[in-house]
Amino acid sequence: MEKIAEGLSCSSKVEIAGEIVYVKTIEDVIELFDKADGKICIVDDAGITTLGPILSELCATVCTTGGAGSHLAIVSREFGLPCIMSARFSTSNLSALQGKKAKIAHNGQDRGFLYLID
Amino acid sequence: MKFIKFITDTKPNPNKLGSKASNLIKLFQAGIRVPSGFIIDIKSYKYFLSKTKLKRKLKELFSKGYLAQDIIDLSKKVKSLILASELPKRISANIKRAYIKGLTEFGKKPNFAVRSSSNFEDLKDFSFAGQAESFLNNKEIDNILNSVKKCWASIFSPQSLLYLLQLKKKKNFEISPLKLETGVIIQEMINAQVSGVLFTANVTNNNLEQILINSTWGLGETITNSSIIPDSIILNKSEFEVLKIDIGEKAKMSIPDNDTSSVILINTNEQLREKCSLTNLQLKQLYELAIRIEKLFNYPQDIEWAIEEERVYILQSRPITTIK
Repeated sequence: MEKIAEGLSCSSKVEIAGEIVYVKTIEDVIELFDKADGKICIVDDAGITTLGPILSELCATVCTTGGAGSHLAIVSREFGLPCIMSARFSTSNLSALQGKKAKIAHNGQDRGFLYLID
Repeated sequence: MKFIKFITDTKPNPNKLGSKASNLIKLFQAGIRVPSGFIIDIKSYKYFLSKTKLKRKLKELFSKGYLAQDIIDLSKKVKSLILASELPKRISANIKRAYIKGLTEFGKKPNFAVRSSSNFEDLKDFSFAGQAESFLNNKEIDNILNSVKKCWASIFSPQSLLYLLQLKKKKNFEISPLKLETGVIIQEMINAQVSGVLFTANVTNNNLEQILINSTWGLGETITNSSIIPDSIILNKSEFEVLKIDIGEKAKMSIPDNDTSSVILINTNEQLREKCSLTNLQLKQLYELAIRIEKLFNYPQDIEWAIEEERVYILQSRPITTIK
């Protein structure tokens, strides 16, 4: 397993595995509704205000900015979805991660990790 | 004055004013510093909808419910309808009177923040965080009047409509956007050097004995809308002690732009990025306010604050919805 990101674990501490989607706009979010089953959403600071309600079964979010006080983190906690904020990625090409299988884990305190799995 | 209530001389009433406004009034009455201002009550929104005949149009638009793929178009339609409708004279006249009264009391001409205060936000189970919008740094009365309509329209924003669909799907809680109502809070704009969010419990690990602060330079919207990595500070709750400071990059700052009556995002200079945005003294001030506010509401609170020239203002306080 390759660790590709680490950040602040702001919500549920469950480990989940899923397929990565890189989401940038509200249109992307709406496109995902009803298809979000098993998806891990990566978002960066562009257009993130539209992503508050990005939630469906098994969705988790990994955001390159933000903190525990962000609306996204608050809403993730309400829906019990894992949420990693201020995530530092080992790659700058986030679009290339689209469709890859990944897993989210936590260290039991406040760190969260994203791994690529085969 | 019909439709208008001043923060300094009205009772908290979430049904009439929305929960955000009600909580601000409670804070003020407890002697806590909040930006001065007034509230346009929820009745005004209902009056606007009926006077402009929008109520009927909206009923038609939402009569069959909606799906995720309908949201963008639906939201655009509603927003255009609302912005195109003229504010009833009774409402705009009273807002103008309140604005002038406010200016006289302030003794200076501030810019204004125009924010939604709905009867569904900030409840114990569902925060609706980030769904209703705020419009900052309004310079003239015309900007304010337009922002009032934008607040009303934000009930039907894409993120709000999507949030409602999610509540239905995941929490089995069904509510039509037609049932959502909002008041509008108009307050002097705080020209904050530092702003942020404070939780009176550590929401990342459910530790009720800790206080968690996210802080940054400039206005706090960069934290709530996740556009930057804020400083993160954990305090002990039983007595003031700084347990941990994580300096965030704070790469951008949101500041008022007085030329355009809005806010702009600028890059933070290197020195400020590396520095903690809060001093020890400010942390102590926030700590003391946190304890007071949690006691006032008798429940862990999610508090938005801003510091202008050493004065700490509380912008919002609502229950933490996820404490176990």
